[in-house]
Amino acid sequence: MEALSSALDFSDFPRLDMIIAGVLGGLLVIFPATPHSAFAMATMIQFLMFSLYGMGWNTIGGYGGQVDLGKAQYVGIGAFTTAVLMVRWDVPFWVSMPIGVCFAVIWSFIIGYPLFRLKGHYFAIATIATSLVLKDIFEVWDFVGAACGIEISPIKYNPPDFLHLIFKEDIYYYYVILGFFFLGILYVNWFRKSRLGFQLRSIKDNEEVAKSLGINVHWAKIKTYAIATSFVSVVGSFHACYIKNIEPEDTMSLDISILIALMAMLGGAGSLWGPIIGAGVLIPLKSYLKEWLGARAGLIGIDLIVYGAIIMLVSAVEPRGIWGIVEKVRRRKRN
Amino acid sequence: MGYCGEGAPEKAKLMALLEVHNLTKYFGGLKANEDISFSIKKEELVGLIGPNGAGKTTLFNCIAGLYPVSSGKIIFSGHDITALKDYEVARLGLARTFQVYVASGDMTVVENIMVGCFMRTRSRSQAKTRAEQIMKDFKLHDLSDYILSELPVASQKQVAIAAAVGTDPKMLLLDEVAAGLNPSEIEDIMATIQHIHYNMEITVMLIEHVMELVMKISDRVIVLDSGQKIADGNPETIARDPNVVKAYLGERYVHEHAGELT
Repeated sequence: MEALSSALDFSDFPRLDMIIAGVLGGLLVIFPATPHSAFAMATMIQFLMFSLYGMGWNTIGGYGGQVDLGKAQYVGIGAFTTAVLMVRWDVPFWVSMPIGVCFAVIWSFIIGYPLFRLKGHYFAIATIATSLVLKDIFEVWDFVGAACGIEISPIKYNPPDFLHLIFKEDIYYYYVILGFFFLGILYVNWFRKSRLGFQLRSIKDNEEVAKSLGINVHWAKIKTYAIATSFVSVVGSFHACYIKNIEPEDTMSLDISILIALMAMLGGAGSLWGPIIGAGVLIPLKSYLKEWLGARAGLIGIDLIVYGAIIMLVSAVEPRGIWGIVEKVRRRKRN
Repeated sequence: MGYCGEGAPEKAKLMALLEVHNLTKYFGGLKANEDISFSIKKEELVGLIGPNGAGKTTLFNCIAGLYPVSSGKIIFSGHDITALKDYEVARLGLARTFQVYVASGDMTVVENIMVGCFMRTRSRSQAKTRAEQIMKDFKLHDLSDYILSELPVASQKQVAIAAAVGTDPKMLLLDEVAAGLNPSEIEDIMATIQHIHYNMEITVMLIEHVMELVMKISDRVIVLDSGQKIADGNPETIARDPNVVKAYLGERYVHEHAGELT
């Protein structure tokens, strides 16, 4: 009960924040009713998906300070579990999604146990490596479709199929992911105030002090890594049903991992709203850059240059991202 | 708050809370601690002194489980803690602070203390209530919502002690809490230590270079030099011990305090 009331309690934010958040949340709910292009709808769904990826990353990467650049492997595990189960055995999304989470969490324990012996840059590099290795395995694994990937054929289903999450119109997908989005916010709101959340922040500050306060640092990191993984895997499963045609190259690429971490860092790592702000800035930017600049020959890849510039800017100007700037300005006003 | 209040059996008071038997610690070929033995009773406040490099912090780190010992045995409150990890030692009720504690990050004072309180409870409201009580005791309640890393060193040290106290320890190891503080801040921290010891009934062992502090508040002083224990006794005896004077205090201190000592 305490957990639920804690998840619903946003009272430590200033009233202005709550009003803005409420208005924006309301706009998200009514967005499909407003006139919009298919492109805008697709971008909004991407925004919600990446917000969720970022919220998951934020638990271990933001609150815990463990820069994880291998989240794409869990997108892949979630997506391929759902797709394979659906194509081969016609398993509904609501069954395959938890199974995917289980696989992802088991995998996260297997690699998290040794990986969290490493710190800082070494940890970041190791997460990249494990993600790339898993991608390579999926690319040669016939059972999951190897490099061609796997396609969920919508013909078998009778949309709107809420069990299998097969819809003709994007609006259904939008509301499903919006539901997950609000649940994700509530979960992170609970997490940041929970014992584990405090332990993670203490670990980020100073591991030796954290240990001296009775925290099993290694285990706390592994647990939180599994939480982050679950978020990513759920959205990965959704991604499979939404995109319907998934390949390891698309779902598990290094770009995805970096984008997930980058969004949370740009918005503000270690804050509730950070990943959402980051996704709100980067996803439209990414979509429009791809649409306008990417189509012009010679400018392909310019989005990567922009990401690189953002990384440099954030780490040089304000390592705590956009939200860090907001808080700094506020504190200066108060004093 | 205390573990052995008024009703505690007399036997518990006589038993040592912490026993260190023949503790030896090597770093490669370097002998940092050699064959150190001592015991501390529940009601004691013990100072640990010695020149730089004598092995004081190493001894703390061995006791607290941060370093594995090379040989020897450590018994705390009836448990053999020699092979335990640092967080396991903390959970048994042996808390510690660090010599160089530079706070970073965005946690406020109350949040830092809550981390300690969370060791004994899962409930956020319980942790918060307890943290607020400790802040009141430590006169930190005005600083509650400040970011710790933005406060002066003296306050950071007070908060570090408060967080350690938050774990509800039986014993507290304090590593140079007065280093780098000015005289009035030293007075404050001395009052804090005495409050922890006498009112909260927590056994205290402290490493300290500030002689005025350690000689004034300690019941007993243990002296290390080059990794070995060279003296163990009450502050007056220690100050007159020729070995200690030679190794550490210097003739000057003895001269200045000649009147008090005799």
